[in-house]
Amino acid sequence: MPNPFTPIMQGMKITLGHLFKKPITLQYPEERPKVAERFRGLHGLKVSHNRAKCVACYLCPTVCPAKCITVEAGEDANHDKFAAVYEIDMLRCIFCGYCVEACPVDALKMTGEFELANYRREDFVFTKERLLEKK
Amino acid sequence: MVTLTIDDKQVTVEKNATIFDAAKVAGVNIPILCHDKKLKPFGACRMCLVEVEQMKGRLIPACTTPVTEGMIVRSTTESVEKARKLVLELLMLNHPLDCPVCDKGGDCELQNLAYDHKVNVNRLSDEKFHHEIDYNNPLIERDQNRCVLCGKCVRICDEIVSRGALTFMNRGIETKIGTEFDGPLNCEFCGSCISVCPVGALLARPFKFKARFWALQKKSSVCGYCGTGCSLTLGVKDNKVLTTVYDENQGFHNGQLCVRGRFGYQFINSDKRLKSPLIRKNGELVEAGWDEALELVAARLKSAGTAAAALATPRMTNEELLLLKQLMIKEVGSPNIDHSAGYGHAALTAGLAKSFGVAAAPSTILDIQKSDLLLVVKSDAYETHPVVGFEINMAVKNKGVKLHILSDKRGKLGKLPGATVLVHAPGTEVTLLNAMAKVLIDENLASGAVAITGYTELCAGLAGFAPEQVADQCGVNAEAIRQMARDYAAADKALIVFPTGLAYPVQDAQVAHAVANLAILAGKLGKEGSGLLVLQEKNNSQGAVDVGFVPATGGLDARAILDGCVSGSIKTLLIAGENPLVSYPNQTNVREALQNVEFLVVADLFLTETAKQADVVLPVCSYAEKEGTFTATDRRVQKVQPVISPVAQSRPEFKMYGDLIRILGGQAPATPADAFVEIPAYAVLSYASLSTEGAFVPASVSSQLVLPKCSVSVVETGKLALLVGAALYHCGTLSQFGEGPLSVCPEGYLEISRSDAARMKIVDNDEVAVSTASGTVRLKARVSPRMSEGIVFSPYHFAGNPINQIWSGAAVTSVTISK
Repeated sequence: MPNPFTPIMQGMKITLGHLFKKPITLQYPEERPKVAERFRGLHGLKVSHNRAKCVACYLCPTVCPAKCITVEAGEDANHDKFAAVYEIDMLRCIFCGYCVEACPVDALKMTGEFELANYRREDFVFTKERLLEKK
Repeated sequence: MVTLTIDDKQVTVEKNATIFDAAKVAGVNIPILCHDKKLKPFGACRMCLVEVEQMKGRLIPACTTPVTEGMIVRSTTESVEKARKLVLELLMLNHPLDCPVCDKGGDCELQNLAYDHKVNVNRLSDEKFHHEIDYNNPLIERDQNRCVLCGKCVRICDEIVSRGALTFMNRGIETKIGTEFDGPLNCEFCGSCISVCPVGALLARPFKFKARFWALQKKSSVCGYCGTGCSLTLGVKDNKVLTTVYDENQGFHNGQLCVRGRFGYQFINSDKRLKSPLIRKNGELVEAGWDEALELVAARLKSAGTAAAALATPRMTNEELLLLKQLMIKEVGSPNIDHSAGYGHAALTAGLAKSFGVAAAPSTILDIQKSDLLLVVKSDAYETHPVVGFEINMAVKNKGVKLHILSDKRGKLGKLPGATVLVHAPGTEVTLLNAMAKVLIDENLASGAVAITGYTELCAGLAGFAPEQVADQCGVNAEAIRQMARDYAAADKALIVFPTGLAYPVQDAQVAHAVANLAILAGKLGKEGSGLLVLQEKNNSQGAVDVGFVPATGGLDARAILDGCVSGSIKTLLIAGENPLVSYPNQTNVREALQNVEFLVVADLFLTETAKQADVVLPVCSYAEKEGTFTATDRRVQKVQPVISPVAQSRPEFKMYGDLIRILGGQAPATPADAFVEIPAYAVLSYASLSTEGAFVPASVSSQLVLPKCSVSVVETGKLALLVGAALYHCGTLSQFGEGPLSVCPEGYLEISRSDAARMKIVDNDEVAVSTASGTVRLKARVSPRMSEGIVFSPYHFAGNPINQIWSGAAVTSVTISK
């Protein structure tokens, strides 16, 4: 029969050992986590030459498994295509990142932004203005 | 027949087939960019290269190589694959590869081939093209940078449309598709070039950036404009019709459409559609509920009784017309129903009904290409029914069919190779046709018709119609008339084609008699590719006649109904879809009628000029929102299904008239299928088996020769002869709400001959005043080589320039023109 104190000692060893380690928990919101570089948080529309890089090719709404992206293309003064409407419904988004992968012009990224709580349902629909990356 | 082997599959095909055709039969897919089944083989893209055992050592283009007996073809060998890959790499060398912003993405043959052949890197590199993109017209965008020079646009514009607006320009690497003098595209804007373009070099601007191809639901329907009855595929997204989609396997026309069919769909989801029923209260039209509106309409119809009347548009389905007829005759008790101004259907109901014993023409559009000789009365056949015009183009150019045209003005058909055109004085077509009949009789070319009823009376009646006697009056050479009659009689299979409709009032029935006489005398009836084809104006003109939407016994016709409104004998008038204020002749009379009638109900898609006068306006559905059948001009019954749900509060007329019948205590058929069986003319068809392609109801002819009445219209001296007709870009007044046709032909115009224009110092786009005793209309002038001196022409569709202010329905109106 093994010593009945051995498991207790082993457990205490782990417990006491943690007293001298850096804590895993964060004192959120005072302390904030540092998210990984490839974390999939809120989407961001990249900007180039003072306009969104998005050309409204509709590949992201096509590939989106949650059908949460709404794009409407417009024609600008130079007859070029741009996204007149670009909306993501965060209540439906599953953060799979397929939209970023599908984008042929690298116009979309996923940021480290994860605090997406809101008071009203309509505030979960992120319009183009809210998604544009801030300089 | 020839038997050959393709990829180990044995196949037997026609002697004149190509390897590509044979592969299709064998089920072997050969990639190609420059082939369309309507066009002649061209061999431009070199994608269809195959190996042929008997021609070892080189690769053979499948689309231009005829099959030979015992040929052994391999389409998937290593060398073939290598060659195709190189072709694709070369094509993509200068291609901008801007698929994300190109509207063709997802429907692009180059994209598909690159994917199939895994061409994702290019071993070669070169500069991209820097051609300027043509945004000069509102319908067709041309981006030469994306072009792969397959030449399909050039060929369809030449071979089928016969316009020749596009051609290859320059040589070698500089080659591009150009327009005349490299200027803006100057054409009919039928969009055929867009439909066949394998890449995004030609795009439909009204649909540009609206949706990606893969997001569209493709739904089959029938075009709602003219009587040709073209099948079309509508691209639908989010309950909106966004575009028309080309399908080369659709209908007798192989997906070929005209400007109205391809670009005129926008009226379906127009912002101008009526949102809810309107009732006039205190002089204003205010929104109301359906129940209130229908109760009011039912009460007013019932109280009017025999003083009620209905005018319907032949754009309604057969079943809807049947219900409206039942409502008026059975429930309201009024025999006063009519359509197309009371004369738009005269060629059938008064003309052929007497000559042939049936109110339908015996031939079909399919006969055009099987004929030996076509006699087209009025060159307008192209303008009123462009897709029939394409069939005529193909018959003449590909099949060597002879073309004779009798017309008061020159037109596009007259430019076809070998066409004989007799331009006659306005309003003399019946005289001229009578003269031809006289020649047939005099020269013993009508010996087979001696026993037919009316022969002796006709011979006697035609006594004064020898070509020499009428030549001066018609303004045509007597020998030319004789020759045309002889040619017509000599042809084994000869088909007469003539358009009818609102624009050709008095003459239609007489022209119908006259052409029927020719066909009967020369014995051209009852043969394939021979006979008579009447082109009707609206998509269901034939159906309205077959359903019998014409005055019942003792009933008033359209003109009498309007007169009744003026005199007060008609109390309640129901106008279903017609816009008489714009489309009927004699606008003053129509306006007076609409103002005088006690109660006016208008059921329409839009608040038209007529609807603005109404006491109750009922919003109804377009062809894309309802179920039912349409009958094309050659008695082809086609079924449509709703492709979108009704816009706003609008209701299908079938439901609306059913409800009215039920309010008045009657029994109405529950579904269009139940109503269809009640149409005696279509007893031979089963509703369930009908499709958008349609099924023919043959017209059995019992011939009778009828002497047509000739009314001679003399133009007053010093004045010009005004002809009214249809413009190529429009059909009735509905196309006024389709943005596509309106963007290229936005307003009424006056075509005037060069010599008259020079005399009056008028140049293109000058605003001129066209006057008669009854009024003046201001129109933009178009100096046109197709008009003869002393004759001017104006289309009737436009509310902004209502030609019916000065046009009272006469074949020829004498007008004065001033700047």
